[in-house]
Amino acid sequence: MIVCVAVVGHQNNPLYIQSFTEADDALKLHHIVHCSLDVVDERVNNPKKSGPTLNETFLGLLYPTENYKVYGYLTNTKVKFILVTTDLDVRDVDVRNFFRRFHAAYVDAVSNPFHVPGKKITSRTFAERVSNIVKSFGLSST
Amino acid sequence: MAPAGPRSGDAIFASVERVNAELFTLTYGAIVRQLLTDLEEVDEVNKQLDQMGYNIGIRLVDEFLAKSNVSRCVDFKETAEVIAKVGFKMFLGVGASVTNWDAEGTCCSIVLEDNPLVDFVELPDTCQGLYYCNVLSGVIRGALEMVSVPSCASLSLVFSSSS
Repeated sequence: MIVCVAVVGHQNNPLYIQSFTEADDALKLHHIVHCSLDVVDERVNNPKKSGPTLNETFLGLLYPTENYKVYGYLTNTKVKFILVTTDLDVRDVDVRNFFRRFHAAYVDAVSNPFHVPGKKITSRTFAERVSNIVKSFGLSST
Repeated sequence: MAPAGPRSGDAIFASVERVNAELFTLTYGAIVRQLLTDLEEVDEVNKQLDQMGYNIGIRLVDEFLAKSNVSRCVDFKETAEVIAKVGFKMFLGVGASVTNWDAEGTCCSIVLEDNPLVDFVELPDTCQGLYYCNVLSGVIRGALEMVSVPSCASLSLVFSSSS
């Protein structure tokens, strides 16, 4: 179950945060997303020396906390996508798929000539596409 | 040698040089954004877009007639059909259909199924009166004026998804 997705700009400014639970702990989720940014920076600045990374965009599991797992994805413009999920058995390929579709939706939202880069994403189409992607994430992993 | 008959919009579109659709869409979006920044008034921007379209249309109609070889249209209905089927297909690569004829046959609607100008675009709440594709109505107005059909084209946008 995906709990929260977030898009964070290259100056670590939030561009889009959406939580998908009914529980009212949005603040906790924001905090988790914020902490995960540090892990992202650490991964970016100290790349693991275990061979060449083919896909530098997908950062993988950032860190597991209590009952959440946090995944990260970095675009070439230093925009970060953060995914918080409560699933215990998430396949790597599913998360990669999710981020690929999320990236496509993000690119379409940013191509809107009325979107100001660096400001929050206010596109309703983007929000709808993201909820569709989130809904189909759970189904495909069975 | 027998004169060539009128060519279909598809055939002409396939034979001319084309440009990347995203480049075209983003360029048009940048133009509209810049106009909004410069003029600030939505009505002014609409007028400018119409004027730009008019300037394009008066030049475009010669190329249209040269490439497509359509014969003279007998009435306005045929004119509208030619614009929708051949003209839009040839220049934008998308089909259009003509609907909503009024009783006298002087007023109709041309509906574009899939408008490449508005890919990715969502109008913000501050620009609700903006006729984003007004350049197209200017093009039609300019083109018709050059072939002596005085007309008034106006835009009525039917967005299926956004605003």
